[in-house]
Amino acid sequence: MFIEFFYILKAKGLDISMTEWLTLMEALDKGLVGSNFSQFYYVSRMILVKSESDYDKFDMAFMEYFKNIQSEDAIPPQLKDWLDKGEEMEVDHQNAEMYAFNQQKNADEVKRMFRERLMEQNSEHNGGNHWIGTSGGSSFGHHGRTVGGIRIGEQGGMQSAFQVMSERKYEDFRNDKVLNMRQYQVAFRRLRQYSSRLDVPKTELDIDKTIDKTCNNGGYLQLEFERPRKNTVKLLLLFDCGGTMIPFMNLCNELFQAVHKANHFKDVQTYYFHNCIYSKVYKTAECEMGDWVDLDYLFKHYDKDYKVIIVGDAQMAPEELFDKNGNYKGPNDGLSGYEWCQLLNSKYKKCVWMNPRYHTQRSAVTWMESEDALSELFHMYTLSVDGLKEAITYLLKTK
Amino acid sequence: MVAKFTGSKDYVASEELMAAVDVAVALQKPLLIKGEPGTGKTMLAEAISQSMNKELYIWNIKSTTKAQDGLYVYDTIQRLYDSQFGEEGVDDIAHYIKLGKLGEAFKADKQVILLIDEIDKADLEFPNDLLWELDKMEFYIHETKETVKAKERPIVVITSNAEKELPDAFLRRCIFHYIAFPDREQMTEIVNAHFENLEENVLKNALDTFYWIRSIKDIRKKPSTSELIDWIHALTLSGVSTDKLREELPFIGVLLKKDEDLEALKKAKLY
Repeated sequence: MFIEFFYILKAKGLDISMTEWLTLMEALDKGLVGSNFSQFYYVSRMILVKSESDYDKFDMAFMEYFKNIQSEDAIPPQLKDWLDKGEEMEVDHQNAEMYAFNQQKNADEVKRMFRERLMEQNSEHNGGNHWIGTSGGSSFGHHGRTVGGIRIGEQGGMQSAFQVMSERKYEDFRNDKVLNMRQYQVAFRRLRQYSSRLDVPKTELDIDKTIDKTCNNGGYLQLEFERPRKNTVKLLLLFDCGGTMIPFMNLCNELFQAVHKANHFKDVQTYYFHNCIYSKVYKTAECEMGDWVDLDYLFKHYDKDYKVIIVGDAQMAPEELFDKNGNYKGPNDGLSGYEWCQLLNSKYKKCVWMNPRYHTQRSAVTWMESEDALSELFHMYTLSVDGLKEAITYLLKTK
Repeated sequence: MVAKFTGSKDYVASEELMAAVDVAVALQKPLLIKGEPGTGKTMLAEAISQSMNKELYIWNIKSTTKAQDGLYVYDTIQRLYDSQFGEEGVDDIAHYIKLGKLGEAFKADKQVILLIDEIDKADLEFPNDLLWELDKMEFYIHETKETVKAKERPIVVITSNAEKELPDAFLRRCIFHYIAFPDREQMTEIVNAHFENLEENVLKNALDTFYWIRSIKDIRKKPSTSELIDWIHALTLSGVSTDKLREELPFIGVLLKKDEDLEALKKAKLY
């Protein structure tokens, strides 16, 4: 009975085992449901779904299977709420207008205009609105006001310069500096989940058992050994090495070293990206072309239990995040940066985004479309000791 | 016939929750309860025990608790000491076997309620170590070659604060219920269950302020049901006028415990 429902639930991504399904059948057999539709909804949910975060998936599957039931009374109130919310969930287009001007200038056009103007211009211009220079409203240069322009060297004034077209000197995080990172280390101490079911030899003296055995042995010593309890937490770190991150180099450095000095993790993998995550991630902080691996490689080699910590300021231009050709430093492979981020987030059970420049005040600034989108996708925290503690609490929590 | 659970005098249960208890009892599966702190997870077991008139055994889980602790403990050290002084009964191992909460619940003559409180506090593998015992409701004491088997399967209620993920194998065997935070209507019922003759405007003002505080985004530790009840208690005992509750916020320390949250509240009050 209802076998179709079982497959719809599976298709919606609910991990339901035969045991649970048979339990539901048993409940039906025992007449626990009666002929009450609401009751069937509750009973099937309490048996099949084991996390409140999956309630929504369950509701969707339930709607799909029972959509032909007309009676209004028969639909449980939760489902009605869910249907109501559907309208609210429509995309908010308001923000889009703000970027209308810059969206007209797509990536290619900005690049083309840059080349043209570079050819036309032959003197230094600072403060103007057209030529490449500093502090102006032109799309090119540095310390500028225009969102989505091309930045040339220096730190971004208004943060969203589209591209950094000069060579950055980005220090590799691995340089062993003496830094005051104790607080980070203490925070990472909490990131542990113990298991003694690991496949390692019994090497640790088990004092309790030794005492037991010795006592049983009439007081003659008999040693007992146990498998050591190991932390099972595996980490995948992704660092943003884009230009806007330069001011936070020290902060990232501290975080990076805290992770590597904390030797209690089962495994730590580190990769780098430039501004946004695309189809490839770099092996070193220099982000040199070719020195990379596919994101798919990460998906294959590091299973879903890896806890992902992304460190970045999420200050990419909307084009860099949403355009299918937004990656100017490497291939996009058919997906936009945002879609790659979505993939990453759906592959791993636990992802957090640590943002050194996280804006908790949502309204004051205008260039945050990317940050908004990413903070909705990922659990985003400020890169600070407190933020890290919060992130770790989330990483250890149930879904 | 299965006794129906209908909540109790002090405990207001939603229809869903009552159904969950009934199903868990009928299918003889552990009932796993999850929810925000202060939604009355632990109190549920007490309410079931009262309403069904069955004895309640509580096993509180700590981070150091091992599955074995719930079954039995063989006090070898006591035996070693005793043997050195030639005490009586040293040759009888059974003398030194002490049953844990699970063991006690199994040994009980009548059906009992067993509450395993905050199971997520323990080691990651803890729930898996109990799979057999909770399935079969029996365990074996190696020292005395005795099997402890439940005469009547206890009704098992397990609570979790969602601090850690529970293993899938364990989850598959449970009936799951998530206690959502009570809405205003339910909360009125809950508060009324705790206070006799509470003035209507006190209740209204208190609830207004309570839900307003919970709606402030910057507050990290949101006040819960038990804190609301303590607060109303303080308000009624002191006899403070509640007409300007939201402006004056007396005894606010009962609701908010963190300095940051009090700051956030001050800020929100300005608007």
